[in-house]
Amino acid sequence: MTAAVSLRASVEPARPVIELRGLGRSFGTVEALREVSFAIPSGAFVAIMGPSGSGKTTLLNLLSCLDRPTAGEYLLDGIPTAGMSEAEQARIRRERIGLVFQQFHLIPYLTALENLMLAQHYHSVADAAAARAALERVGLGHRAGHRPSQLSGGEQQRVCIARALINEPSLILADEPTGNLDEANETVVMDLFRQLHREGRTIVLVTHNPAFGEVAERTIRLAHGRVESDR
Amino acid sequence: MFWRVLRQSFLEGRRRKVLAGVAVCLAATLGMALATLSVGVGDRMAQELRSYGANIRVVPKGESLSLGSLGLNPLKGRETLAEDDLPQIKDIFWRNNIIGLAPFLNAEVEVSGARVPLVGTWFRRDIELPDGDPFTVGVRTVAAHWAVAGAWPEADDEVLLGAALARRLGLGPGAAFDAGAAGRLRVAGVVETGGDEDAAIIADLALAQAVAGLPGRVHAVEVSALTVPENALSTRARHDADKLTTAEYDTWYCTAYVSAIAHQIEEAVVNASARPVWKVAAGEGAVIGKMQVLLAVVTLAAFASAAMGVSALMTATVVERAREIGLMKALGARLAEINGQFLAEAALIGAAGGLAGAGLGALLAQGIGRMVFGQGLAVPWIAVPLVTLAAVLVALAGAAMPARAIARLAPVEVLHGKR
Repeated sequence: MTAAVSLRASVEPARPVIELRGLGRSFGTVEALREVSFAIPSGAFVAIMGPSGSGKTTLLNLLSCLDRPTAGEYLLDGIPTAGMSEAEQARIRRERIGLVFQQFHLIPYLTALENLMLAQHYHSVADAAAARAALERVGLGHRAGHRPSQLSGGEQQRVCIARALINEPSLILADEPTGNLDEANETVVMDLFRQLHREGRTIVLVTHNPAFGEVAERTIRLAHGRVESDR
Repeated sequence: MFWRVLRQSFLEGRRRKVLAGVAVCLAATLGMALATLSVGVGDRMAQELRSYGANIRVVPKGESLSLGSLGLNPLKGRETLAEDDLPQIKDIFWRNNIIGLAPFLNAEVEVSGARVPLVGTWFRRDIELPDGDPFTVGVRTVAAHWAVAGAWPEADDEVLLGAALARRLGLGPGAAFDAGAAGRLRVAGVVETGGDEDAAIIADLALAQAVAGLPGRVHAVEVSALTVPENALSTRARHDADKLTTAEYDTWYCTAYVSAIAHQIEEAVVNASARPVWKVAAGEGAVIGKMQVLLAVVTLAAFASAAMGVSALMTATVVERAREIGLMKALGARLAEINGQFLAEAALIGAAGGLAGAGLGALLAQGIGRMVFGQGLAVPWIAVPLVTLAAVLVALAGAAMPARAIARLAPVEVLHGKR
């Protein structure tokens, strides 16, 4: 196993990877998020749940530095993200965050292996051996040369997860990772997240799936842009 | 990885890229054809325009004098040049640009009781140049616009009659008449030039020399030379060559301006004053200059439309691949990396289209050359890399607007399907 995919053997001392202080996001007169404050320590597995329109995706966009808050503070690994330029936000994303999407978002004309290598390329240097090992890690070593159109939904999501892990991020953010999967593939992906948690990864996922609520060690419920419950 | 992504992405949207390549190729074809034409046609046009008359007139120095405001010249018609000096005109620095010359000697003969001008010249003759090469000279090499009804004179006693004189004397081709000191002459043809020759008998130079009693002498020589259009430097040189710097003088001397060639003829022929026939020279320069401006404007328009074509196709590509671009941004790609990929695609399209266009343009120019001038044009090979470079720059310019669209694209919007 190469360094790029080496897994953490033990949980690090609990320091906050994410710290939100009165975070808010408005779109014109609409307040999508209001006064959101919580901290997520390293190695935690947190599910963010809530009905449609509760602000889950808006929160995930802010956490992944794809959007900017209009109020409050967001510290990632203790680093304030307010006032960062687009280039600095991009650097944070490639160095500290691994993203898993509901719609997988793989580049259609690249193979599974090349999709992973592209993420490596943006981070530092493409390494085919490390990318292949990451695919084997999610059980897709034999599908390395296949394009997304030749893979099932579950396989595409596993490639997406492998891509999120390839640069050893401190945080994995997932948006409805089982939303487009059938039951069998949902189980495979959930098992994969469970395993990642056991290995000490910090995982925050947005989901409607109550099963994830049971797997996650903590569930934050949003309603009308506010934290309704956190336990 | 950059090249791998570039290759795959290039192969992915082949149809659109081929279309963009065709747009660039068409512009490059036009650019190359016009570059070839503007270089080749300049020479060909100059040759064609030469058929409308000589552009340099060489006379004895005394002939060009003028006294007082009335321009009186007591030496007019008395000074002559030596016939033996004529080959020297073809021995100057720009000897290869001298494509024809003809001597003229004026005399008078009596026909039917009236004094009639007799102009002696060479109709067509091969002379030997100082370096031993043969050279065809004569009025037929400098005055192709003379309209001759009948035939050009071949024998020594054959002449051309000016159209006005022929009408007055009631003579036509094949007729014979007595011409006083010139003896009995036969009319080979009747010529219409629109000039003084229409009222004269045009005979062989030797006959006119015998009548005038000036053996081996000529009054004037008309020279047809291939020239480049006049510009500010040649105009200054025309006014006062002594005021040019050494470098300017060298540039002027070594460029085929009509004034530079005239200057060199004066250096080569003893007692000669060579004067450009400005009406012809300026008209020629104006025609070629205007043609080159027209070609440049058409080329620019072609490249501008190619840039717009590339821009439209690349913009469509950006819209089509918005999710992919959004994903790259979400993965932390630098803007320069994403733009670099699209610009590299544009540059490849430009290079491929430009090279293909340069080849097609050279062929097109050959076709036009054969159609218009009856022979192909020399391809300026330096234009191939220049046209290709222009095509690459045009494709990159076309990609500039899509690049701005890439910068504005928000990954949040495209990844969540809002676009």
